[in-house]
Amino acid sequence: MVDDVFDEVGLKVENLHASYGAVEVLRGLNFEVASKGVSVILGANGAGKTTTLRAICNMCTTSGSVVLGDEDITRTGTAEIVRKGVAHVPQGRGTFPELSTMDNLMIGAYTRKDNEIRDDIDRWFEIFPRLSERRDQLAGSLSGGEQQMLAVARALMCRPRLLLLDEPSLGLAPLIIEDLFERFTTLNKETGLTMLIVEQNANLALEMADYGYVIESGEISLSGSADQLKNDPAVQEAYLGA
Amino acid sequence: MAGATSDPRLESNLLATFFLQTTMDLVLLLQRVFDALFNSAIYSSLALALVIIFRSTGLLNFAQGEMATFTAYIAFVLLAGPQPRLTGGGLAGLVPGVPFTVPLAIVGAVLCGMAVGAATERVLIRPLGGASDLALVNITIGLLLATNSLMAQWWGTGPRIFPAIFPSGAGQHFTILGARLRYSTIGVWIVLLSVLILLILLLRHTRVGLAFRAVSISPSNAELVGVRVGPTLMYGWAMASGFGALAACLSANSVLLEPNMMLRVLVYAFAAATLGGLDSPKGALVGGLIIGLSQTLIPAYVPFIGFELSVLPALLAMVLILLIRPAGLYGTKRIERV
Repeated sequence: MVDDVFDEVGLKVENLHASYGAVEVLRGLNFEVASKGVSVILGANGAGKTTTLRAICNMCTTSGSVVLGDEDITRTGTAEIVRKGVAHVPQGRGTFPELSTMDNLMIGAYTRKDNEIRDDIDRWFEIFPRLSERRDQLAGSLSGGEQQMLAVARALMCRPRLLLLDEPSLGLAPLIIEDLFERFTTLNKETGLTMLIVEQNANLALEMADYGYVIESGEISLSGSADQLKNDPAVQEAYLGA
Repeated sequence: MAGATSDPRLESNLLATFFLQTTMDLVLLLQRVFDALFNSAIYSSLALALVIIFRSTGLLNFAQGEMATFTAYIAFVLLAGPQPRLTGGGLAGLVPGVPFTVPLAIVGAVLCGMAVGAATERVLIRPLGGASDLALVNITIGLLLATNSLMAQWWGTGPRIFPAIFPSGAGQHFTILGARLRYSTIGVWIVLLSVLILLILLLRHTRVGLAFRAVSISPSNAELVGVRVGPTLMYGWAMASGFGALAACLSANSVLLEPNMMLRVLVYAFAAATLGGLDSPKGALVGGLIIGLSQTLIPAYVPFIGFELSVLPALLAMVLILLIRPAGLYGTKRIERV
């Protein structure tokens, strides 16, 4: 078993196995995400990054344990996990293409019962004015960058304590990616939202993360603070293009 | 010469006959349209039920018609009160001691339909979530046969007289331009349009409606915003079967209540739903109208299609529209992700 790396643990994953049918994709993962911190999982295509996030949300067959704060959520259903404060922006963004921008934000707040939902939507429209302009358009008609903004805003509408982001940079232009990651940093600094980001774009990810893991064929092969990883020769060669 | 100028009296006579004939033809056409409207409403209601389930689960529920007939029998039993001869074998103990009034019996039937629909989702469909859609459709066909036999077992196969919901006696109609529009036709349309408007308001403006739309677009994404997919689908089945119950109760008076009452209606409702686009409530309404009208009008004006072949125009309309618009008139073409 691993010792706690952080003072306060937001998410703790132990001996996580996951498989699709007969294919085992995760082979005993152990890692932690610091509460209020930003952690990143780096890895090549097919290493198991997406599956890790799916396994945390119990969207595939798993064994091992996933603990959110001090609550075991290994056997909790996906919808219930979301209700406990885990927001997941999956690959493919998780928005509803046939619903309007506005409805996508409304459904993001589905688990909430308070009366500040409208205020939150207005706040997101302020942060992403492009979304405000397209509030009545179908999400499927937005550009890639706008859809990613919508996906993030949609996920944050449930006021989560843990945000899981699956390759947020995928398919976006470099300028938009930079802008998006800046917003993630601001969000983390301002609200203390815990984040776990899965990325291929190691440069950017390590820039904003405090801590990182490298995953290879379903196992963690390397871990350390973001600075350590940035200076690690193996990481430089494989992921930073040095 | 004499032949060049015709007799003016004869000419005006011919003209008058021509006008009279045309007017009569037009009145007859209007009458046929009015008559077709009643069936159209029934097809539309059952098509709505099919659309609701298809939208959410991607399934065609072949048992929709039989489940609806079953609830019409429930209304029938509630109306009859404690008469052992009329009460279904399995329900004898549950029948209330006092006969219900007609509206109350229909409310009872709709509620019962909703319960049956919800139970079907929970017991038959949800546990088999991993099975292919085709397997699930086969299960609904099994349910069709089972429900049909159960009704025959409990209530016999003989037709029963079901009371009229709207005044439908000999003189109870409006006369518009010489054609008779029956009160009962107006009545079913009022009911159909009000439930349709309610459904659209529910889908567009309520939290449950939004969840329902989200689930029909992507169950896995819906789950990621905390929507409990199973129960949402169950509400969908309940709602659909409620519509089915309404359709059965509204038509039971005109076609007589018997176990196979909705079998033909189901075929037309399928055609109507396909025509309108399987996921569009508005499409179900328009589809029901097209099928109902073409079923009456085409055999009346195209001599070689007799009334026995009245299914044919419906089929042709369906094939034509699907050739031009594969998603149906109002069906959504799925937006592909970029």
